[in-house]
Amino acid sequence: MKNDSPREEIAERSYVVVTTVEEAVARARELRGDYQYVAGGTDLEVHRRQELVAEHHVIDLTAIKELHAISIDGEELSIGALVTLDEIISDVVVRERVPLLATAARSVATPVIRKSATVGGNLLVKNRCTFYDQSGSWRSSIGSCLRDNGDICQVVGTDAGCYSRNVSDMAAAFIALGATIVVRDQKGEKRYDLTALYSGDGIRNHNLLENDGIILRVQVPIKPVASWYRKLRLRESLDFTSCTVAAAVDERNYIRVCINGVSMAPVLIEGDLAELSLEELHRRARRSCQTVDNDLLPLKYRREMIHIYLEEWWGSIHVDA
Amino acid sequence: MTRVVGKGIPYIDARKKATGQAMFADDYKFPNMLYVKFLRSPHPHARIVSIDTSRAEAHPGVRAVAIGRDLPLGFGVLPVSPDETAMAVEKVRYAGEIVAAVAGETEEAALEGVRLVEVRYEPIRAFLEPEDSLTECAPEEQIHEHCKNGTNIHKIASLRFNDPEAALEEAPHVRTLKFRFAGVTHAFTEPMATVATWNEDDGLVVISATQVPHYLHRTLSKILGLPLHRIRVIKPALGGGFGGKSDPFPHELITAHLAMKTGRPVKCRFSREEVFLNNHGRHPTDMTISVGCDDDGKIQALNADIVIDGGAFGSFGVVTTYYNGVLLQGPYRIDRFGFRTRRVYTNKPQCGAMRGHGAVNPRYAMEVTLDVLAHDLRIDPCDLRLGNFLPSNTLTVGQLRITSNGVKDCLLAVRERSDWDRRYGKLPFGRGLGVACGFYISGSALPIIWNRYPQTVVHLKLDFDGGVVVYSGASDIGQGSDTVLAQVVAETLGLPLERVHVKAADTRHTPVDLGSYSSRVTFMVGNAALKAAEKMKAEISRAVAREKKVPEDTIMFTNGRVVSEDGGLDLSWDDGVEIALAGRGALATSGWYISPKLGGDFKGAGAGLSPSYSFGAFISEVEVNPATGHVRVVKVWGAHDCGRALNPKAVEGQIEGCIHMGLGQALSEEMRYNAGHLLNSNFTDYRIPTALDTPEMDITIVESNDPEGPFGAKEAGEGPIHPVLPSIGNAVFDAVGVRMYELPITPDKVLAALKARKNAEQEQVS
Repeated sequence: MKNDSPREEIAERSYVVVTTVEEAVARARELRGDYQYVAGGTDLEVHRRQELVAEHHVIDLTAIKELHAISIDGEELSIGALVTLDEIISDVVVRERVPLLATAARSVATPVIRKSATVGGNLLVKNRCTFYDQSGSWRSSIGSCLRDNGDICQVVGTDAGCYSRNVSDMAAAFIALGATIVVRDQKGEKRYDLTALYSGDGIRNHNLLENDGIILRVQVPIKPVASWYRKLRLRESLDFTSCTVAAAVDERNYIRVCINGVSMAPVLIEGDLAELSLEELHRRARRSCQTVDNDLLPLKYRREMIHIYLEEWWGSIHVDA
Repeated sequence: MTRVVGKGIPYIDARKKATGQAMFADDYKFPNMLYVKFLRSPHPHARIVSIDTSRAEAHPGVRAVAIGRDLPLGFGVLPVSPDETAMAVEKVRYAGEIVAAVAGETEEAALEGVRLVEVRYEPIRAFLEPEDSLTECAPEEQIHEHCKNGTNIHKIASLRFNDPEAALEEAPHVRTLKFRFAGVTHAFTEPMATVATWNEDDGLVVISATQVPHYLHRTLSKILGLPLHRIRVIKPALGGGFGGKSDPFPHELITAHLAMKTGRPVKCRFSREEVFLNNHGRHPTDMTISVGCDDDGKIQALNADIVIDGGAFGSFGVVTTYYNGVLLQGPYRIDRFGFRTRRVYTNKPQCGAMRGHGAVNPRYAMEVTLDVLAHDLRIDPCDLRLGNFLPSNTLTVGQLRITSNGVKDCLLAVRERSDWDRRYGKLPFGRGLGVACGFYISGSALPIIWNRYPQTVVHLKLDFDGGVVVYSGASDIGQGSDTVLAQVVAETLGLPLERVHVKAADTRHTPVDLGSYSSRVTFMVGNAALKAAEKMKAEISRAVAREKKVPEDTIMFTNGRVVSEDGGLDLSWDDGVEIALAGRGALATSGWYISPKLGGDFKGAGAGLSPSYSFGAFISEVEVNPATGHVRVVKVWGAHDCGRALNPKAVEGQIEGCIHMGLGQALSEEMRYNAGHLLNSNFTDYRIPTALDTPEMDITIVESNDPEGPFGAKEAGEGPIHPVLPSIGNAVFDAVGVRMYELPITPDKVLAALKARKNAEQEQVS
């Protein structure tokens, strides 16, 4: 979203803790867009300090009890949006039935951050870019960028679009598992395929939430799948992803591979195993990933790693077979 | 007998720090305190056309604004390069340089004031790569006009002994290799903070997170035009320094200036981004090194050509320029030796001293080159090193005086503990071992500012309460120097540690110490404390001997008692104190340290001189993923000769800290710029290894008992870092067969090297 400089506005600020979804949505309606929902706050707080939050009001969702639950709902596992990543890791049902989620959660941030950071927050983590995730004075010193107050993308040097990267590790895992989300907004409650959340726009990263929408829960099909997960990063902890690949193959040999961290939205490649080849996977990845030089690991290496991970995963399922 | 030296004990301020009682600079609060914030340059190199502060001054929350011409005098920690001003005057030299400062009633008001300062700039060509700074440019493009020949070269240091070039031509085996090292920074925990107060009664009082209260004291006097006796500098508890707080800084001078201008206390505290912009970290370095040896691996000669990227100002750069070369003179005997180092200015935050100052990058180059030669000659890398070590009690080719030297014991220890002989070269592909050695100064023998005073003085006071107070200007920056002083005094007087209290680093109350840099405190201040304690012991002995009629030389101080050898005298410490203080009151003694005269009489002979040197050897084991290029350090075996471990727990901590810091520079840390703008000024993107990246460590302390060190001690805080990095680089070679000539060893570089090797092999086959 294009920020107006927060310092130019002199407005009342507020921080409200709500206890029900209804209350949250009602409060949001009153604030007419000038607010941020907050859960763990681990992303929002950094952005606030970097003068990247224009909104004056905060609606704290953490006291909404119904969003904290993990439950089995028929053939699906239902995970409340306020479940923390730490709770995902330690939940026995998650670990046994959908271990890919626990693996992905464990790869996010650090143990301390995971105690606050939520599933919903991770799905909605703001896209990142080396030229955007900086202090206000830094951004203005380089002339700002499209996503901020500038006229061009500092990475590619044109005004054609913003290529900020989606870095949600949980999104990669959930999408590979075919997850859906339930969103509540001013119009009511509706269920969507998780992939629909991601706009593919580097500036306005998410769909579905325009009418004060809140993600209530994520629904994951419980079915046996062979899953695989890799996250490219320099350190074993803390780092945002430079390329995450999550993959699942179900009993019908239907595959879903999600690549994230290398494009504006998670990239899903799916199809019947019998109809796919490694070359085809590479081709689709190349076609779908709009990877630019906006991470501290070199562009060439990140592009290479997409293929190396796909190859490694492809090898693993063929060994298993 | 209860001993406090040689025992692993917690630091004497550990409880205070653990319970939050320790006062750091930012903890100090005064009534009516103002806050200062800075306007920083958005350009790497630009002329300042105009500055308009009127809108800022009119802001209701702003109390004062300062700009460059308010404090126009040049300064620098080294008197030889006073090339910096508190704020930019006429032009800016890096993106992030302070241009104006605003003191406000709150931090928010000060920030608001900063936003209201209007500056017009006219950009000048920016020099961002060191090679661009080596050549002549237009006079108006020069970063500093004092650079010679129209270049941006700050300093050239060169020494040559016994025609190394000729020796390299004669040597049967020579390797000439090029290395490149990224800049890294200290990344200490506590951001800079300074609080200043001014009134006519107390003068100027500056409480600051500094490693060098003495140099800050001098610089404040120079820049603010105040006599030295009107200034008091206090170093409070410090959250780490690693060399990053060892210069007097602009923010300290500005904060003091604004306190004087407003007559109100002023506080400055940096954001983490500002800490990164302040930098003073390790210089990015390009280095070509040639090493020759005979068929047995005996080193015949070394020649090195080095370019270091100093950033916008001098800092410790002249010393760094020399250290890059002279500290290659050990731990091996090299009789034909030469180097040239050129330090250039660039339009980036300045570089300075950082743990292992000046010797870390060249050590990597040397140790990797030795590994290459060992591989060429099919000699075990440990054996090649063992065949080349300097002995104890010798002079290097450049006349560095080596006294105690435990390097051989260090290498033998890690070789055995890592099971090197059974495993080196024999581990499966992807797993490898690497070895490296190092040495480092234990205090610079020469003071930065020439004067006739000792390098440090320690006062002791003993009063009726039976407690001994140690007064020292030494700066405990978290490395435990206060504890060392207490230990030395307690040990000498046979007292439990609780009887000794340390009052340190307050320039009005403690005698001068030059600061916590060059690993000098344990050796120099420890010796001064020892001398003061021995004098106190002698005074008490004299009084007791007279009163109790026992021979003075039979009196001993042990277990908190004053006794005679034959047991005829057995007084409690308090009784001994009463006798010593009778009719005269509190007893004060003084000790000091002055380095012996060392070194040759050629130009540059003073560089690298130290009364003693520490030595070490490290072995690292790594796991390399050949598919991704990712390197994981599995285990590090480190052995360090610290002379004598006064506090083994502290020595172990320092060695472990060196492993962690060396690991960061080796694998992941790097200051990254885009067109002169620092890209990663935060701990998400400046990648210090996390706990999960930190390997298992096996530490061996080697005690060579230095003849001049206090109780035989020498340094342990910096020397252990040098071998860490090359041991990792060499282990990568053992694991996957590629040499890493560039740091950090990021996975993309490893993968590229593996590919290049594969391509070369295929070409060979075809």
